[in-house]
Amino acid sequence: MRVKGLAAQEVEVGLPSGEINTTPKLLQWARDKWGERVFMRHKDLGLWQAWTFNEVYEEVKYFSLGLMSLGLKRGEVVSIIGENEPENFWAHWAIMAAGGKAVCLYPDVTPPEALYMWDDSDTVYIICEDQEQVDKAIEVEDKLPGLRKIIYWDPRGMWDYTDPLLMSFLEVQELGRSYEADHPNAFEESIAQGKLDDIPIISYSSGTTGAHPKGILMNYANVLDSAHRVIKATKMRPFLQYLSYIAPAWATEQLFGLTMGLMCPYVLNFPEEPETVLPNIREIGAEMVVFSPRQWESLSSMVQARMLDANWIQRSMYKGGMSVGRKVAEGHLSGKPANIGWRILYHAFFYPLVLRPLRDKLGLLKAYLPICGGAAMAPDLFYLFQAMGVKLRNMYGLTEIGLLTVHQGEQYQLETVGQFMEVNPDLALPLEWKTDKDTGELLIRGGTPFLGYHKRPEASAEKIKDGWFSTEDCMAMTEGGEMVYLERLGDMRKLSTGVRFPPQFFETRLRFSPFIKDVMTLGDETKPFVAALINIDPETIGRWVEKRGIVYSTFPDLSQKPQVLELIRGEIEKVNKILPSDSQVKRFANLPKEFDPDEAELTRTRKLRRSFLEDRFGGLIEAIYQQEAEYITEVPVKYRDGRVGKVTTATKIIDLEAPAEVGR
Amino acid sequence: MVKWGEAMPIKYNKSQKLSYRGGRRETETAADERKVVLRAEDICMTFGTIKAVAEVSFELLDGEVLALIGPNGAGKSALLNCINGFYHPQRGRVYFHDKDITHLPPHKRAMLGIGRTFQGLQVYAGMTVVDTIMSGRHFHMKTNPMQCAIYWPWTHKEEVEHREYVEEVIDFLEIEGIRKAPVGELSYGLRKRVDLARALAMEPDTLLLDEPMAGMNLEEKEDLARFILDVNESLGTTIMVVEHDMEVVMDIAQRILAMDWGRLIATGTPAEIKTNDTVVKAYLGVG
Repeated sequence: MRVKGLAAQEVEVGLPSGEINTTPKLLQWARDKWGERVFMRHKDLGLWQAWTFNEVYEEVKYFSLGLMSLGLKRGEVVSIIGENEPENFWAHWAIMAAGGKAVCLYPDVTPPEALYMWDDSDTVYIICEDQEQVDKAIEVEDKLPGLRKIIYWDPRGMWDYTDPLLMSFLEVQELGRSYEADHPNAFEESIAQGKLDDIPIISYSSGTTGAHPKGILMNYANVLDSAHRVIKATKMRPFLQYLSYIAPAWATEQLFGLTMGLMCPYVLNFPEEPETVLPNIREIGAEMVVFSPRQWESLSSMVQARMLDANWIQRSMYKGGMSVGRKVAEGHLSGKPANIGWRILYHAFFYPLVLRPLRDKLGLLKAYLPICGGAAMAPDLFYLFQAMGVKLRNMYGLTEIGLLTVHQGEQYQLETVGQFMEVNPDLALPLEWKTDKDTGELLIRGGTPFLGYHKRPEASAEKIKDGWFSTEDCMAMTEGGEMVYLERLGDMRKLSTGVRFPPQFFETRLRFSPFIKDVMTLGDETKPFVAALINIDPETIGRWVEKRGIVYSTFPDLSQKPQVLELIRGEIEKVNKILPSDSQVKRFANLPKEFDPDEAELTRTRKLRRSFLEDRFGGLIEAIYQQEAEYITEVPVKYRDGRVGKVTTATKIIDLEAPAEVGR
Repeated sequence: MVKWGEAMPIKYNKSQKLSYRGGRRETETAADERKVVLRAEDICMTFGTIKAVAEVSFELLDGEVLALIGPNGAGKSALLNCINGFYHPQRGRVYFHDKDITHLPPHKRAMLGIGRTFQGLQVYAGMTVVDTIMSGRHFHMKTNPMQCAIYWPWTHKEEVEHREYVEEVIDFLEIEGIRKAPVGELSYGLRKRVDLARALAMEPDTLLLDEPMAGMNLEEKEDLARFILDVNESLGTTIMVVEHDMEVVMDIAQRILAMDWGRLIATGTPAEIKTNDTVVKAYLGVG
């Protein structure tokens, strides 16, 4: 396959030796080596604008010198908030080169959330993308006494702004140019001062466990070693086309975009707008695609939803292609090739006629390294992509200790998160791991050790037990040495009947349905059975309902339509079939509102915040277990401008065992 | 053609982009010191026995946002059409930059720099967004249809230049995602935005907007209000807007003209109009 190739040796050259022990040194090294080659591209004015290594280096240099001339001292914190754009990356490298610490925020955080992180990290400069982000910074600047400047790179709409702290990206770079005249070599000297154990990044966790995220410290050893592990394990080729889409606020992009991008190196592409990501991936022919499970799920829902609209010929071609593709992929992955007949049918008919065009439409034709990182994902979903020949790989890691496992080679099991990766002996200690006998929790020792949470020594100490780092993830190992992700330690549940069940297992599989956007399973030691709260996907259900001539007004109305409830019931029954009968879902209700990160129901990476949700829908949950058939939910809705409203809906509760009331 | 991996020939400089071109005017000139861009004197327009516009005179000042309000059938659109040249008033004169344009046809007025959008949708449903906006560049193109058919090198060069401007407008109005989409497939709100984009592509000196927010939801209205202000602030375009939604008008206009039964009943700042008895009466119908 293309994954193996001459490039493996070339990559070897790119891996850091002992001297290159910080990211800015890596930037210098890459500039010296590749100079005039194109490194970054950003679509603007409808064209892909390009920057070479030399040009990127200059941009970073003058911005970094500008920060120094403003008075940034080593060890101080600078925050960045904005979409993935070249300036966002330049700012990261410039902060690191000046010896500062970078904190990156998701562009959609609310001002109070941003304030918490800015305040907790003692941010001295905030770098914003545009007016939207500057408004957030200005709203809370009074509460940040240490704040010295708010720097923005897109000045649009701010012609009237007179805030004394405001300064543009270009102005900072101008300052840098005049600073260079007085302090020649200041940039290079500052880079040379960097050490392997400097802390260049504080990454705020998405905070599934509490309302406030914790700042996780990452040093260069941590970042460089993880990047090195992945490049070696996945056999990346230099100058692969990569589309930077996941936010650098998530540590995954810190490693993939900001570090491996220099180390491998990539051609880093930035989408024109967040909404044009899919066409942009197709235009550049992305070779590596790193998405969270949510993003892969939405891609697959899109395919499935379009198929619902297709005519019967197209639909049966698609179904045939998918089932043959799945057989061939299963054979390939297990190392026991499928029957020759299936393979001929696949290669001569379904692949060229159905699956390849579909893969092309999704922009994944050249993607030889598609990666899914973050949480667990349903195997069905993996097969959807594998059938198209997209060799989707799972990856597992923690911000605290770096990336640990990935699907390696050509044969791997889709239920797992892959094998442990090798560490670089120059950067890290040998990696040891074991699973706790009682709980099944994965414990890690060595590698690049956990450095602690910013300003939280107690929370940091809790994570280390007898010298082992506690991942709080329950894992098991297969015979082939691959790890199976079971559940978060705190989420493995026991019913009052004594039956143990993994709620996420059910949720990830149910989310594969194009009609279901989110699921929360219920059931604990006080509850006798498993139940589920469903968040329907208004888009696909809306279309499904329209086709059947059913009229609806709002989301709550749509969610309670008897036909919709019946449809969801069918979807749940499908998943119930794979589970033992005592851990099956017995009752469910369609929630009359969508989960929203702005209301703290989801984290920014769209993970459920269970305890909060259990509280918010407490009445409904009680009604489910009281065997009631209906409950009047009253849900407070918080708008962006601060107003609070209320949605009242009679929510129906459905029994899975009861016979269907409405035929389809 | 440019190959992937090579540096692109057009290197952009953010400071040159449309959104920042011109920038803010140096100092805020007081309203009475501003130059008059457009002056209407004693406009009268009758359809049969109905007086649609009766003896209306007003001045449009350089760089302002002027709103024209009034109940249905007050003669707002008729007045706008008189200025724009779709209707020829029976009496009265229209001066644009001190030039008498009363008898000029609409396209000549457009060439002088008067752009407009329409109340109903007047976009080309079968064309893509880019082509629709490109049509707004029509007056600025110099090559003739014959040259275009042969596609001379200079025709190509001209197209690239105009396309660059169009792309700046697309960037300005944030419609990158629908660049290649056929206009007929877009939602109402987006079509309105394309309509505005086409008017902007003309590089108008003065922009007449006829109920740009009619039929939009709150979010679309907020977006469009923001864009109107951005156009006014960053390009210095003088804007006259006919609008029903009083909240929007109060937010974006610097001066308001109120009409009823074809007559001008009040002029003033938003605060003055809000408390003006005649206007309140005309709107609420309290007799």
